[in-house]
Amino acid sequence: MQIFPHIVSIGSKKNNAIQLESFHESIADFIRIFSIIDGKYEWQIRDEQYQLYPGDTVLVLPGRRLSSIKGFLEIGTIAWVHLRVERLDKGDFIAGEWSSLSDSERFTIGNILLSNKPVIRSRTDETSRIFGVLRNELFNHEIGFHTRVNQLLDELLVMITRQLTKQGNPGRDFPKTFLQLEQKLRENLSHQWSVEEMAATVGMGTTLFNVKVKTYTGFTPTNYLINLRIAESIKLLRKPELNFTDIALDTGFYSSQHFSTTFKKLTGYTPSEFRKKGSADS
Amino acid sequence: MDCIISIELGTNAVRVYAFDLKGATIAFAKGSYPTFHPYPDYSEQDPEQIFITMLYVLKNLLNEKIHSQKHKVVSICFSASMHSLLAVDKHGAPLGNVITWADSRGQKEARALQDSPMAEKIYGVTGTPIHPMSPLVKIVWLKNLQQDIFRQTEKFMSLKSYIIQQLTGACVIDHSLSSATGLLDIYKREWDTTALEYAGIQADQLPEPVPINYSPGKLLTQYRVSLGLPAATKILVGSSDGCFATLGAGVWDDYKATVTIEDSAAVRVVGTSVLIDKKQRLFNYILDDTHYVSGGPSNSGGIVFEWFAKQFGDFKDAYDLETCMEDLMTEASTVDPGSERLLFLPYLLGERAPIWNAHARGVFFGVNINHERKHFARAVIEGIMYQMYSIEKMLQEHRNIKQISVNGSFASIPFCIQLIADIFNLPVSASTNASSVSMGAYLLSATDIGVYKSIEDAARSVTLSQACKPNIHNNNIYTGYYSVFENLIGKLGPDFEALARL
Repeated sequence: MQIFPHIVSIGSKKNNAIQLESFHESIADFIRIFSIIDGKYEWQIRDEQYQLYPGDTVLVLPGRRLSSIKGFLEIGTIAWVHLRVERLDKGDFIAGEWSSLSDSERFTIGNILLSNKPVIRSRTDETSRIFGVLRNELFNHEIGFHTRVNQLLDELLVMITRQLTKQGNPGRDFPKTFLQLEQKLRENLSHQWSVEEMAATVGMGTTLFNVKVKTYTGFTPTNYLINLRIAESIKLLRKPELNFTDIALDTGFYSSQHFSTTFKKLTGYTPSEFRKKGSADS
Repeated sequence: MDCIISIELGTNAVRVYAFDLKGATIAFAKGSYPTFHPYPDYSEQDPEQIFITMLYVLKNLLNEKIHSQKHKVVSICFSASMHSLLAVDKHGAPLGNVITWADSRGQKEARALQDSPMAEKIYGVTGTPIHPMSPLVKIVWLKNLQQDIFRQTEKFMSLKSYIIQQLTGACVIDHSLSSATGLLDIYKREWDTTALEYAGIQADQLPEPVPINYSPGKLLTQYRVSLGLPAATKILVGSSDGCFATLGAGVWDDYKATVTIEDSAAVRVVGTSVLIDKKQRLFNYILDDTHYVSGGPSNSGGIVFEWFAKQFGDFKDAYDLETCMEDLMTEASTVDPGSERLLFLPYLLGERAPIWNAHARGVFFGVNINHERKHFARAVIEGIMYQMYSIEKMLQEHRNIKQISVNGSFASIPFCIQLIADIFNLPVSASTNASSVSMGAYLLSATDIGVYKSIEDAARSVTLSQACKPNIHNNNIYTGYYSVFENLIGKLGPDFEALARL
């Protein structure tokens, strides 16, 4: 595995007998992806309990606790890939340099994996198919296998990300989907959201996302986000202890200059005029 | 060309219309904002987001379609959803979000007031049914459960009051909206001392009640300059969406009623007298100096059919709800009236008039082995209309209604218009305007600058589509079903309560 330092382990296991005390609680500093092939499992990931069935994919992120509720590995067959990723500050992570995804895609995927449930319920079992091909490539060493293995890992991450976001958004209720996004934007307004990232967060392609947001809200996604930033900044401007640079950065503007220009363009007031107006009213 | 701007601060979106002086729409734009439900009973909105959205939409519309065409804005008139409450501190800063009409956190407080001897007096004087929607009940909730916020509150405002204060500095509320707060004496048009006492507040903690054609003064200079408006542009406080929708539908005579169905719904009549309902089921809101709008609101409008479509419709393309609903509507229209003995009670969100039961829930009744999706689709639509009919029947106890005018996106669908005609057994006309609410705002503004002699003249100028006549054969069928519908509601009352207690 020396040419794939990011692959910690790959394998499958058919468990025919119960061995008591065989499954201990563990925390790893890499991603553990399991595919349930056969049998029924009761696992606990962080503080949540999950019943797992064939076809399910389980995702245990770095630093997250995994244990079996019964303390042993149940009878059945599972396959796994353990994958090392680069940890960033604030607990998020991205796939390493082996990945051919772009920086922003890797970042978005990391965020989406962090903010969704760790289990994909699926009847198609894409995960175990990719696992199978991966194992063949690693065993056979055919021409191009080095590239092919890394491509398959990218494919695995992309597939899991798409399925996770689609699982939460079945494509029926746009207002509900959009509200989920709005809440994520508000929780992290200082982040430099791109339209691709906003769309991916709710499991949509950028083209459809742009059209739907425009029809539903009357704004392009970018303008909708600017409105949110300005609305939030108005609340912060009422707090005299905050300075303009902090307000600008907290609400996602590049600088206090960028904040000031955008604010003035929309309201007619500069932030400092607006703050004075507020204190003059009372 | 001179033009009139109407700004509707609706439940889900702000809609801005520009009219020429004859009432033709020359421009339209909308921007939506979300409603948050931090707990199931809560419905809140962000006041600054609404303000910024409104400003952005207005500015774009002016730049792209008004200034560029050299139109001159004569006046700007506002309307808003009823029953909103926003607590504001002594610096004018909101203490949290706006609590909307749909919020039902005050169920306990509403029940306590209903059970008190004050109920009859407060309902009689204020015209607002005692219900969690009422700002009076919301203030009592704050007093009981959020004492910090209650104590810090300098003013209890409506959303529209807040927006107008941002733009002009004035702290006012129009008579229509204030008559939907549960706090205004609708006869004297001043804050009612009994209601104030019950809420535990002083009159000066509320905005000043003013007539709907009152001008709160000019826009603050920066906003005016930024929007590119002339100094002479007049601001009118306007009315509530419900009162404007009734005016804009041209309903002025007491034999006419409007049926409005958007997400939620209402049946309303206009008159010079307040309708006294012993069972406290009706609202009486002030329209202008002499007229009241009376009626009953329903939670079970187009949102119920939307729910059905989202759950059971076919989505050929992701999120294409419009096509999905059209297809279901077409399917439904192939089923005979009565949906082959399938009935639906549409109370997915509890219900207001006429049953005023927050615990009421949806029911399919009479399902048999031959029923297909199309029968369910039709039953849902018929159920929404039976519910509308139950409100109209209640109004018939006070008025002899002979004609219906419908408006709102759901009621204006031709299939729905015919259903209303057949179920109500009355001729039904539809508004030809895109928005009856903004038409109402136009009529008020146009009267203010002398295009019409009076509001009454303005209302009579509204043209409606050719009336759709009821089909007697179908009406007979629906009458039979409606009596089962009514029986079911009566019988299920205790079970709705039992279900809520589980």
